[in-house]
Amino acid sequence: MSAVSSKQRQFDALVRSLSGDLFRYGYWLCGDHALAHDLVQETFLRAWRALDDLRDTAAAKAWLITILRREHARLYERKTPQFADVDDIDIADERDAHMPEFAGEENLIHNAMRKLDPKYREPLLMQVLGGFSCEEIARELKITPAAVMTQVFRARQKLKAMLDGSTQEAAIHELS
Amino acid sequence: MNCLEFRRQLNIDPQCSEADFVRHRQECPRCADALERAGAFEASMRQALAVPLPSQLAESILLAQATQQQHQRQRYQRGGALLAMAAAVVLAFGIGMRVQAEPLQVLAVDHMNHEAEALGMTKPVSDSDVRKAFAERGIVLNKVPADISFVYCCPVGRYKSVHMVMPQNDGPVTVLYLTDDNREAHKDFTQSGWSGRSVPMAHGTLVMLGHDASHFDQIENVWRTALQSAAAASNARI
Repeated sequence: MSAVSSKQRQFDALVRSLSGDLFRYGYWLCGDHALAHDLVQETFLRAWRALDDLRDTAAAKAWLITILRREHARLYERKTPQFADVDDIDIADERDAHMPEFAGEENLIHNAMRKLDPKYREPLLMQVLGGFSCEEIARELKITPAAVMTQVFRARQKLKAMLDGSTQEAAIHELS
Repeated sequence: MNCLEFRRQLNIDPQCSEADFVRHRQECPRCADALERAGAFEASMRQALAVPLPSQLAESILLAQATQQQHQRQRYQRGGALLAMAAAVVLAFGIGMRVQAEPLQVLAVDHMNHEAEALGMTKPVSDSDVRKAFAERGIVLNKVPADISFVYCCPVGRYKSVHMVMPQNDGPVTVLYLTDDNREAHKDFTQSGWSGRSVPMAHGTLVMLGHDASHFDQIENVWRTALQSAAAASNARI
């Protein structure tokens, strides 16, 4: 009985400390608020069933992100992801109804991030949101650390380029 | 580390704390400025990535987990009940098989002991009662042996039988005619202090039990005559 309670306490702590990060990670993977909620919930339900496998609490976040990515991959098999062909749609009009409007630079970064190719976006998310090192990202994505370095480097370059373009465009709009 | 390497590292990981990186930042004011700008960009990016969370996110996950657990418990309970039922069926089947597996002589003696009061009956029953009992088992008995003091249709384990008692001078003999199974061998046996004999006869088996086997031959003969004539009559009707 006490073992069950201990497991439940561990699970509660994981949910309360990491569900926010997992949700944000899920949101940037699938691009949909409600879907991200489902992803995170399913991730934690799977984590509950496999909680005995988690030996190192320091590895909990990476473990959960692995589960979440698998869940997302399953989802990807069933549904066309919303980030596909993102250049063909008006990002501002596609803004999730649940999401509040972003202001200024934050809004530009948000849109730029949504336009970023997933192969660049995902390692960047793992680094910025997950706090993982390049080696850890490499293990998770099953690529070399050098490839991770290249991808996060290009991700930042592309983001900055998009933001520079958007800023110039915004300035033109303001002048006209 | 030179400026190019520093700027490259800045785009890979601005939080880098490697000694070379930190040293170059301290030595190069232009790269230090670049680091500051990169820091501001990282902060803006971090802020943009930190999309608002759904209200009660953790609570909704915990609720889903608790609900799932509850469903699992119910499934286990239902599964447990089904398992218990299955176990009961297996047990019952096992007991049934055990009953089935008991040798005829054991079943016969057990049955006789359960109806021990029949052994004390000495008043002869009427021929019509005997015919009636056999008729219940689908046997038309034309010739009824004499001196039957008890007759009743009884189940003996897996067998259908006509249970009779035939008093003799030195004690009663229980006669069981198992009406639908004649696979038992003709044999004499002793069981729980009783002498016995089983005889395949017509479509069934005659079993005799008594303290003394000396009357078995005579009883076997009278019943063979009676049952053979009954079988002949049945065949003639067919």
